[in-house]
Amino acid sequence: MTDATAVPAERHEATEQTTIVIEEIRKRYGDRDAVAGVSLQVRRGEFFGLLGPNGAGKTTLVEIMEGLREADSGKVTVLGQQPWPRNVALLPRMGVQTQSSAFFVRQTAREHLTTVAALFGAGHDAADSALADVGLTGQRDVMVENLSGGQRQRLAIASALVHGPELIFLDEPTAALDPQARRDLWEVLRGLKRQGRTIVYTTHHLDEAEALCDRVAILVDGRIAALDSPHNLVSSAGVPTRLMIPEGRLSPEDALAIEGVDSAELQGGSLVLETRVSGQVLTAVDKLAGLNDVQTRTATLEDVYLELTGSLAGTGQDGDNDTEQQA
Amino acid sequence: MSAYAALTGAGFRAQVRDKATLFFTFAFPLIFLVVFGLIFSGQDVKASGRPYISYIAPGVMSWGVANAAVFSVAFTLMQWRRDDLLRLIRMTPTRLPAVLGSRYVLALGVGVVQAVLFVGIALLPPFGLELKSSWPLALPVLVFGITAFLTIGVVIGSLADTPEAVAAIANCLMVPMAFLSGSFMPMDMLPDWLQTGSRILPLRYLNDAVSAALSGRGDMGDIVLGCGGLVVFTVIFGAVSLKTFRWSNRA
Repeated sequence: MTDATAVPAERHEATEQTTIVIEEIRKRYGDRDAVAGVSLQVRRGEFFGLLGPNGAGKTTLVEIMEGLREADSGKVTVLGQQPWPRNVALLPRMGVQTQSSAFFVRQTAREHLTTVAALFGAGHDAADSALADVGLTGQRDVMVENLSGGQRQRLAIASALVHGPELIFLDEPTAALDPQARRDLWEVLRGLKRQGRTIVYTTHHLDEAEALCDRVAILVDGRIAALDSPHNLVSSAGVPTRLMIPEGRLSPEDALAIEGVDSAELQGGSLVLETRVSGQVLTAVDKLAGLNDVQTRTATLEDVYLELTGSLAGTGQDGDNDTEQQA
Repeated sequence: MSAYAALTGAGFRAQVRDKATLFFTFAFPLIFLVVFGLIFSGQDVKASGRPYISYIAPGVMSWGVANAAVFSVAFTLMQWRRDDLLRLIRMTPTRLPAVLGSRYVLALGVGVVQAVLFVGIALLPPFGLELKSSWPLALPVLVFGITAFLTIGVVIGSLADTPEAVAAIANCLMVPMAFLSGSFMPMDMLPDWLQTGSRILPLRYLNDAVSAALSGRGDMGDIVLGCGGLVVFTVIFGAVSLKTFRWSNRA
């Protein structure tokens, strides 16, 4: 498991490849540390996920990066500049997704975006291209009050993109979307990354973070509990892979004899093997019983997340969140 | 398009697309004018020998213009903050004066349309308002008045977090002030101590100056005094609004 002490020390000097550098940021509300000494870097062009339970300090940390709040101590550099106090030279280079209520009232989607574009000093066709980016061209003349939840969500994202910023902050961008709309939006977000933009993104959807993010930081109680690529986090978590072989094809004793099998027991019509060297064990199983209908379940980012966040509350994960694949 | 022009355009569209706001801004004060105008049609105020309409028309107009200035900016600020729209604006390079400037121009535009409408109705035969030659001076007076009441609206919009709170605070302020400043009934009907005491109310200064300009109830000195009073209120509430302004409801 990657824990706070195992987070590799990062170099904290800003380079051309670094979009955000924060060093030892602290923010206190009353007697509670909302952010308790966080250091991290977001690289240029990176899709960076910020995960953590409610109250972990995500919002405060993001607002410090956006320049909406002042840190009590520590240093923040965004695109080579200080975001606090309000830095009007920096603001046009950043895009911040707002709540999906932050629309100028009694305007059409296009009128709203044209107004936002003008606030940034962006050109007149910026609104149309932002509408196209989020797939709202068909709703351009619909009043913002009449848009569906998902459409409002997309308009809020378009408001963050309309001026072509280098750095985009997204807050739960897929929260109100149905599964298809969510996948559609993933494509929009991947498109932004392909354009070379840096994205800082907070979410509770761990599958989404795993699918989209280059790196994620898991924040617990105002501290970084883990920071790495989703792949490395899952690999280093040491959660075993489970192989499920239809009952009767292989005895538990024979399975335990395979090198690398940690445990073997019958569960719900399957012989379930746990291993940390799944490739080697699958090869052996193939020779002994064949791979037809053998299923593997690998750990996911959600397992890592639940272990990190749950262990602090004394509630470990139960392994129900594995992904399932046919071998 | 500049941020200021875009915000003004969005504000204008929002205003003309909302029938409730249009009614409240234009028709509602007109009801007062018509009702009071017809009740007292052809009657004079005993104390001064002047027709009632020469009191009621400038009074209702001043109150209507002041009310619209207070409510529109107070509601807009509260709503923009509640919906996080102010936060959106805060994250753009647009400066606060451009934001407030667009609201100011909209309020001036509304005020001018209101003034033309109210005076136009009051001039009709059933009401019979007679304009004095000094009537164009009402325009700068209205500008001073709108400016003063806009700063009051900014303070209310910064303090109140809900539409109910805006309505409660603004009505508590504006309705008694209308009666005490002589908007709905001639000041001459009020006891002396109230006539003197109402000097602490900004609407009194607007009423007096508009009355002096439109119906000649007062002279150039009253117009200058009225404008001076409104400037003082603008400075006071402008300073308070700088202290109370918030970009966000979040702590």
